[in-house]
Amino acid sequence: MIVLFRIDDRLIHGQVVLGWGTVLKPDRIILADDLVASNEWERDLYASAAPPEIKVSILALTEAAAQLKAGVFEGEKVILLVKHPRSVLSLMDLGLPVSEVNVGGIHYREGREKVLENVYLDAEERSIMRELVKRGVTLDGRALPSSKTVTLNSRVV
Amino acid sequence: MSDEKYSERTAGIVVTHGKLAEELVRTTELIVGAQEDLYAVSGSDLCDESVIDRIREILARREDAHVIVFVDYFGGSCCINSVRAVEGETGIKVMSGVNLPVLLAFATKRGTMPFDEMIEHLIRRGRESLKVIDL
Repeated sequence: MIVLFRIDDRLIHGQVVLGWGTVLKPDRIILADDLVASNEWERDLYASAAPPEIKVSILALTEAAAQLKAGVFEGEKVILLVKHPRSVLSLMDLGLPVSEVNVGGIHYREGREKVLENVYLDAEERSIMRELVKRGVTLDGRALPSSKTVTLNSRVV
Repeated sequence: MSDEKYSERTAGIVVTHGKLAEELVRTTELIVGAQEDLYAVSGSDLCDESVIDRIREILARREDAHVIVFVDYFGGSCCINSVRAVEGETGIKVMSGVNLPVLLAFATKRGTMPFDEMIEHLIRRGRESLKVIDL
């Protein structure tokens, strides 16, 4: 069961492990990212960032969608992490049902405009967000569970 | 034991969330005096990926044989970004859980013992500094 589906370009880090982890008490973090999954050094780096009581699966997007759809993690509370908005779209195209995504951290870089303190989007990312909204996804803009509730849907259209 | 033997310089880079790095370095200097080659790098609130560039800039102009990158929290973004920044470099260690006693030990002991021994010393110092005070 996915208890949090989050876009965060820092993937596994303090906000996820401590901020959300303390509240949601996940059994597992699934990091779904093709680049990270294909690189052993990257996999080890992120796997080391989680505390020992949280299991970590680092999977390519197709693999993540397949395993989640097959119910491999059915009995577990899972935090699903992706780096880019387009990964959410990919997972949906691969058949993963998504009703809500936490847009927790997309940080500034050139070409991105500020949407929230913790969310900056470029034109392509904005159009992906619009597509997600069109498909009925709720975009929650909280960095942390205790952050003020902000729904991004109206801010990306 | 002559200090001469270990005159290879060791630089320190403190990488943290918030403004902790600046304050740790400032406070270290307050206690033991101005430090050469001790740098503070921090994101404004979180540890931004631009810290990778700043760490690399410091490394690019270093004259020191060794560098210790001190990070605040194991598994945090500062830690991950620091590991990324030093990938492929030699003579560099990333140490997490930095605190004031560790930095004070670094400032006062660097240059007096071999690099590996100093790493051990700093780890020991950091651990010893965590204790409940008998009342």
